[in-house]
Amino acid sequence: MHNESHGFFRQLPSALPGLSLIIVTMVVIRLWVEPWMAHTKVFGMEKPLTDAFHLNYILLGILCGLLYRNVIFGGKMPEIFVDGFKLSRLMIKTGIIMLGSLYTFSAIVQLGSMAIFLIGGFVIMTIIMVLWLGKLFGLDRSMTAVLANALSICGVSAAVATSPAVEAKASHVAYAIATILGFGILTMFISPFIGHELGLTDLQYGAWIGTGILNSGQVLAAALAFNPNVAPGTAVSIAEIWNIMRVISIPFAVFAVTIWYWAGKEESDSSGKKKTLGTLLVEKFPVFVIGFMVMVFFTSMGAFGDVGIKGGPPASETIKTLRLVMQWIFGFGLVGLGGFIDFKELRQAGGTPLKLGLIVGTTKYVLALVVVYLIKDYLVSI
Amino acid sequence: MSYSNIVVAVDGSDASQEALDHAVDLARQSNASLTGIFIIDTQWADFIGNDWQSAKGARQGFLDYIRKEQEEQAEAAQSQFERATQGMEQSCFSVHAGDPTEVLLAQASSENTGILVTGRRVFQVSGRPSLKSLAAILERKASRPLLLFP
Repeated sequence: MHNESHGFFRQLPSALPGLSLIIVTMVVIRLWVEPWMAHTKVFGMEKPLTDAFHLNYILLGILCGLLYRNVIFGGKMPEIFVDGFKLSRLMIKTGIIMLGSLYTFSAIVQLGSMAIFLIGGFVIMTIIMVLWLGKLFGLDRSMTAVLANALSICGVSAAVATSPAVEAKASHVAYAIATILGFGILTMFISPFIGHELGLTDLQYGAWIGTGILNSGQVLAAALAFNPNVAPGTAVSIAEIWNIMRVISIPFAVFAVTIWYWAGKEESDSSGKKKTLGTLLVEKFPVFVIGFMVMVFFTSMGAFGDVGIKGGPPASETIKTLRLVMQWIFGFGLVGLGGFIDFKELRQAGGTPLKLGLIVGTTKYVLALVVVYLIKDYLVSI
Repeated sequence: MSYSNIVVAVDGSDASQEALDHAVDLARQSNASLTGIFIIDTQWADFIGNDWQSAKGARQGFLDYIRKEQEEQAEAAQSQFERATQGMEQSCFSVHAGDPTEVLLAQASSENTGILVTGRRVFQVSGRPSLKSLAAILERKASRPLLLFP
């Protein structure tokens, strides 16, 4: 069996070339390219790259990752860089755990209750819509189940968690993933632009993309692309609470969709194939969420000093340092994630999964914006 | 034209049956050896590389699940090959692991390959979307004779 779980320290030497490429890329972007963009003049326009296209180190980092893979390396990462780029996932998880330092428990309760309301409503609506459209388009039952979870919760992560439970065929899963990634990448680039043009606040924008963007990697990127600052009340601090609510719901959604799948199967003997909710929680619950909550606990206890909530005392030096480190970590991680986006795969996505994905994805994306706009007075920032 | 060694890509699906039948006929006519190959796609970890937040168990469980499906597909391909080559002395079947496009291209460019016979939709049954362009890449880059079936 293919096993890709190696210890961090065992992997480190082989990861050095890829890590170096990622680090050098982000250092060049932040120390030279960003300052240059902030002062450059094109066709008489002042700072068009930052003001009109809203380019910042996050979007540039992802673009560099994309360019490395799809242009410079001809569609495939060279072996020497692969292990380093794989570490980008660990970097982002570390960044999210550190993000726990932005919140106290009261802030989590306040934001979390809003997130549960929006996420819960949209998850249920999306699942119903996918099940209905899947039947209408005559889609295979397992494919419908994978798309239902992938489009309603966390994109690729949900597809990965659901597929074995509903016996989805590899080719079906592949098309679902390609559809979700394609849609996620499109929304990642257009959302900051739309958010700025509509004059959305960080809270409104974070709530919108946290609800409307299909894939978690793109939620993070779109939030930081809108506002690269990492502090309480910024887009990333809102969107990631929404995202964590989605992640937590993965095992429950897999359980629900599995029940739906097996209930409609003619094959009566499903023993050994259906898993209990407890087993699913052990297998599918992402451990970084616990790390995040531990960080919130320490922050609430004042372990890092003042967090710098609006109207309160300024953030402590420790908190400021943590935020600076987070910016760099997210920057590194997103260069790496860009390197995993393969245009060859996205170009070939098609057929009914693409049609269904586009209909549901667009509906969710637009409807989330409308709902956030309608309830904007009820959204309270931290 | 006769060939000493014919290589045919087989995936156990209807899509590869026509190519296989043709390759068997060609081998019998040329008295050539026939090699059937199936490729287990090892690129799935890279394909889901963008997913940063899956639990370790969920990610590994998914990769194992895909691998199992591909191993079943390999067995189906071997059965398909053995049925088609019954009574043939010079035939063998091998399972490779790697990127199907790269492995098949290497076969289509190897000195040991007399001709590569394959269906255009081969490996799509268990493959990633980019495998749709496998045949087009072979057409463009193969240095040995190539026979493609719809």
